[in-house]
Amino acid sequence: MKHRYSHKSLSNDALTMPEMGAILLSTQFMAAPDELLSLSINAGAVAPEGCVLLAMLGTLIVDLAGEKAASRWAPPICYAGLGAALLLLAIQWDTPLEPSFLGAFLADKLAIAFRAVVALSTLLSLLISWRYAEQSGSPVGEYAAILLAATLGGMLLCGSTDLVSVFVSLETLSVASYLLSGYMKRDSRSSEAALKYLLVGSAAAAVFLYGASLLYGISSSTNLQEIGIALLNSPTPLAALALVFVLATVAFKIAAVPFHQWTPDVYEGSPTPVVAFLSVGSKAAGFALALRLLVGCFGAFDEQWKLLFTVLAVLSMSLGNVVALAQSSMKRMLAYSSIGQAGFVMIGLVCGTEEGFASMVVYMAAYLFMNLGAFACIILFSIRTGSDQISDYAGLYQKDPLITLGLSLCLLSLGGIPPMIGFFGKIYLFFAGWADQQYLLVIVGLVTSVISIYYYISVIKMMVVKEPQEASEVVKTYPPIQWKTIGLPPLRVALISCVLITAIGGVLSNPLFQWANNAVAGTPLLQEAIELTTQRALV
Amino acid sequence: MSISNSTELICFLVLAFVVILGSLGVVLLGNIVYSAFLLGGVFMAVAGLYLLLNASFVAAAQVLVYVGAVNVLILFAIMLVNKREDLKPIPGLQLRRFLSAGICLGLLVLMFRVVLITPWSLPGPAAIGEGATVRIGEHLFTDYLLPFELASVLLLMAMIGAIVLARRDIQTVDVGTGNEVNQSLIEKAGTPLLVDKTTT
Repeated sequence: MKHRYSHKSLSNDALTMPEMGAILLSTQFMAAPDELLSLSINAGAVAPEGCVLLAMLGTLIVDLAGEKAASRWAPPICYAGLGAALLLLAIQWDTPLEPSFLGAFLADKLAIAFRAVVALSTLLSLLISWRYAEQSGSPVGEYAAILLAATLGGMLLCGSTDLVSVFVSLETLSVASYLLSGYMKRDSRSSEAALKYLLVGSAAAAVFLYGASLLYGISSSTNLQEIGIALLNSPTPLAALALVFVLATVAFKIAAVPFHQWTPDVYEGSPTPVVAFLSVGSKAAGFALALRLLVGCFGAFDEQWKLLFTVLAVLSMSLGNVVALAQSSMKRMLAYSSIGQAGFVMIGLVCGTEEGFASMVVYMAAYLFMNLGAFACIILFSIRTGSDQISDYAGLYQKDPLITLGLSLCLLSLGGIPPMIGFFGKIYLFFAGWADQQYLLVIVGLVTSVISIYYYISVIKMMVVKEPQEASEVVKTYPPIQWKTIGLPPLRVALISCVLITAIGGVLSNPLFQWANNAVAGTPLLQEAIELTTQRALV
Repeated sequence: MSISNSTELICFLVLAFVVILGSLGVVLLGNIVYSAFLLGGVFMAVAGLYLLLNASFVAAAQVLVYVGAVNVLILFAIMLVNKREDLKPIPGLQLRRFLSAGICLGLLVLMFRVVLITPWSLPGPAAIGEGATVRIGEHLFTDYLLPFELASVLLLMAMIGAIVLARRDIQTVDVGTGNEVNQSLIEKAGTPLLVDKTTT
């Protein structure tokens, strides 16, 4: 019987899991049932996701006892689940690498780093969302459960090494995001956001499926590593078409121009804590997917996808930062700014060097804290005043120094002003780009950074420079500051910790850099790509 | 050409004709009920193609899931929303139609070209026929175990989300403060994006 793995020797001692599984399956008539059962699936690799799943089920169960019980018990259950997941990820860091689920999942250091970013972004988004959810009257228990399901999808997406698991986890993340963006069902803006996101997202998913089916047709395997080998051996024109389809989906997920049209409307219409998650967690998962698919699978089309990504990065940086100048709504401005920020991260992806990948990880981690810090501030402002117009922030420093200070620091960091964490992340990205001779990208990045500093600083100017009599109506009737209401203490914790890390994390960022370098050094996938790049450079 | 081969070819041609004509009808017809019924026909014809490829399990699943569930759901949705509303004519609709037709034709030409210049490794793997169900089951519980289990989480979450969005009971009081709430964004709109039909 001629099966698809016939080119591999059976006597090879170093058989990896997918090969063993395939051999067992192809010789199924000989294999005794107990032999199938004795296969090691190494399910311990997804233990962190298991914690998130347990937390999700726990929240659903306490939600049965009514809204009061849910708002009392859902937060601690979520904290426990996500905290345990982060702890297990930390333990997983030093365990030897072994593919799990017969090649469907790989918990390499890259996956662990991105899963930690996703889990941490959910934890922080949940901390800042309780008050918002209750004040808007949406059921808290289901909200937390859906957000945890999105996290589950995002975390599995970071480590998936099989087209089928990539697609199912991508859909889990996406469907949960559609639901969350339409969660304020009485608000037409929220419904519009959900509908737009659903339609564009489904189209993107269909395009991905088409590309994936082409890849399966070329290589007759769904395993990314085997597809990569098949593409390397025979790079057909069909594979280039599949590359375009897959790349469109990745670009949709990270909201790169010109696949960004959904972003401003969805960000404006969704509940603000959901926007916080979408702009960090969902984007981090998207970048992990980009690394897995493009670096791991399309190594044979290295030059093509790097060229395409250069174009996407230049467009994202320039359009995102220029259009953000003209926005009057804070959420919309942050939406365009997040498009620009994704453009910066793409510089690291295009480099394909050790520094490039490490700078991506560093910048994603830095972006997590500074962006969520900024969102914590604007959520607190809208909880107290019910507005997200930039002009309503005028003269805020006299009424609420904490929001003013926190938002100023986070926006300065997003702009890349020196002592903050964002500056170090950005300088590392530009350094990696310059070392790899990506002069165009670095120059565009520098110019658009300057533009971004302008619109970030104009918000700060609005808050700080205005005289008391120039303050907006909203600020003049600002409510007295109190932290007693349910849900406000967690928001304060998230706000202060994000702002602290943003402010002093930059100076003490050495562990972060080491962590990112370790993550890249401990990932075989990235090491192979780096070797390939250096070999090309020598030739 | 043997009888079995020519029968297969004729079946394929008929099914392909039905699929192409049906899907053109789904897209081009103005009445959405016709589109929905034609979509059911397309799904059935695709199931027929699977049968021709000796994949009876996939064909059965296609009929059960797509015709039995998805298409019936679409028809239910259409029947439930029996509100005739005259929409405002979209400016430049004809031009837009031509543009999108041009783009679609371009894509089609590109696909044709790529399919023709790709060196396919023919013949492909032989069909297993009746053994396929066993093989699919084994795959679902070995190398596709993770996506299989994750799909259950996805379905659970989609169900909960659908219930949350569709149910009528509305929370009217903020648990923390006792203030009135109305399940809308806290940020009040400066200018509404959509015209709110409840107030006008």
